[in-house]
Amino acid sequence: MTTVVSKVLPALYSALDMVIFVRQPCGLFQAVSDLPAWSQFWLKLAQPSQSQEQNYALTEAFSYLSYFMPDAEEHWKQSALAPLRSGPWIEIDELHQELVLEAGAVWVEDKPVLFIQRMGSEYYQEVERLQLMRNGLLVREELELEVQRRTLKIKQREEEIAIKLVSLTSFRDEETGAHVRRIGLYAAAMAKALNWSQERIDDIRVAAPMHDIGKIGVPDRILLKAGKLTEAEFSIMKRHTEIGAKMLEHSHIPTLDMAADIALCHHERWDGSGYPMGLAGEDIPITARITTIVDVYDALVHERVYKLALSEEETIALMLEQRGKHFDPYLLDIFLGLLPVMRRIRYQVQEIDDLIVRAD
Amino acid sequence: MIQKKICLLGAFAVGKTSLIKRYVSSLYSDKYHTTVGVKIDKKLVSVGDKALTLMIWDVAGEDDYTTLKPTYIRGAGGCIIVVDTTRPNTFEVALMLHGRVKEHAGDIPVLFALNKCDLKEKWLLEDKHLNQLAAFQLPIIKTSAKDGLGVDAMFQALAERMIEV
Repeated sequence: MTTVVSKVLPALYSALDMVIFVRQPCGLFQAVSDLPAWSQFWLKLAQPSQSQEQNYALTEAFSYLSYFMPDAEEHWKQSALAPLRSGPWIEIDELHQELVLEAGAVWVEDKPVLFIQRMGSEYYQEVERLQLMRNGLLVREELELEVQRRTLKIKQREEEIAIKLVSLTSFRDEETGAHVRRIGLYAAAMAKALNWSQERIDDIRVAAPMHDIGKIGVPDRILLKAGKLTEAEFSIMKRHTEIGAKMLEHSHIPTLDMAADIALCHHERWDGSGYPMGLAGEDIPITARITTIVDVYDALVHERVYKLALSEEETIALMLEQRGKHFDPYLLDIFLGLLPVMRRIRYQVQEIDDLIVRAD
Repeated sequence: MIQKKICLLGAFAVGKTSLIKRYVSSLYSDKYHTTVGVKIDKKLVSVGDKALTLMIWDVAGEDDYTTLKPTYIRGAGGCIIVVDTTRPNTFEVALMLHGRVKEHAGDIPVLFALNKCDLKEKWLLEDKHLNQLAAFQLPIIKTSAKDGLGVDAMFQALAERMIEV
């Protein structure tokens, strides 16, 4: 039996292309198997002196092992029978050939055993497998980026079309293309500060400018009336919210669904005193609560046919009076924290003269 | 002779192996060969009047199939975390790896390499990414393994920081 084992084991080590060591109390490693040809160059580097033949300072030859040893020592301390593997590493030999090795620590017959195996075809198959998968991931990433690029282009076109459409309705009253564009940008800045997803930020940037689109259904005699509206006229004027919502709803396009909510609810007030439904608090969609704030801000700081522009200080003072009444207090605080951003948008997006058409 | 281990970390295919090859052998190939396991290269550098051997660990990239072993970072004197400027996903991986380095190696010198800077028309990192990196107050070096931009400077900067520590 012993003879059979003594013949089988060396053949097995050779077939597995591995060399076996036992860790000595002095920290050196004694080879207990034949030394394969590939190992001899390295083991020469690891031989401390002639007197200690077959005992090797392996970490001198393989610096990678010095970082594996603490794990191996821990493993041996636990007398673990299952091998702990180091993971593969690559050495370059004296002929500049790549040599892929992997070490393992195992407790055998009360001895701390370390084996170093030359990785064969299994390693290269694994490399091939990972190369294929990573190439696939790279292609997927590239396609995703292309989809994002194209989606952005479509979004920009959608936004342009929306602005053009809204600007057309504005031809009938004093609102301008620049105003509607600013409303979208202010709302997007709010959404960003609220950590919304990029998709929803893009949606509100396009949707908020459509808040007054229903004014297209309000007769000129009311929409363009210079004086105060009668109660009956105001009732008709208020209908622009529902008209806008009807124009925009049921499209199954998220941006237009959001625009429908905003058109319907942008005259609702936090305290429930708004129209058309008298909704209060968080029953009002957040998109509409945001639009209400930015629409009022932009209207107050700009001149209209019926009023002069207010200074920013006056505007903020008026808006603060409406905190918790007209406006969602939390969102108003967010808005006020973003004033430098809002100011920048206001100055950068100026009136576009050729879009201003007033009834003379 | 002082010897220091440094690790190059990053998502797969960000150019870690190419940066090392450019630095150690002045060679470059634009074909992507994935690294499995670890490859250690050596390079002798001078910092002032001190000679230093850098043991440069090229560690397999992090992805769905491979995760970074703590052993790889253990004992490192410094790390270079590589971001591919044409792939924003690799920025997220870099942030995660920075956390892993802190966890397993402590406060060692780290720098970020923004690689593939030669592909200017494909640059996709935004200001928000750069601001996030700047917040770490660590050196950020623009590199290109292809034309050698910033490569020597990056390793030299890390060597100097390791000597200071």
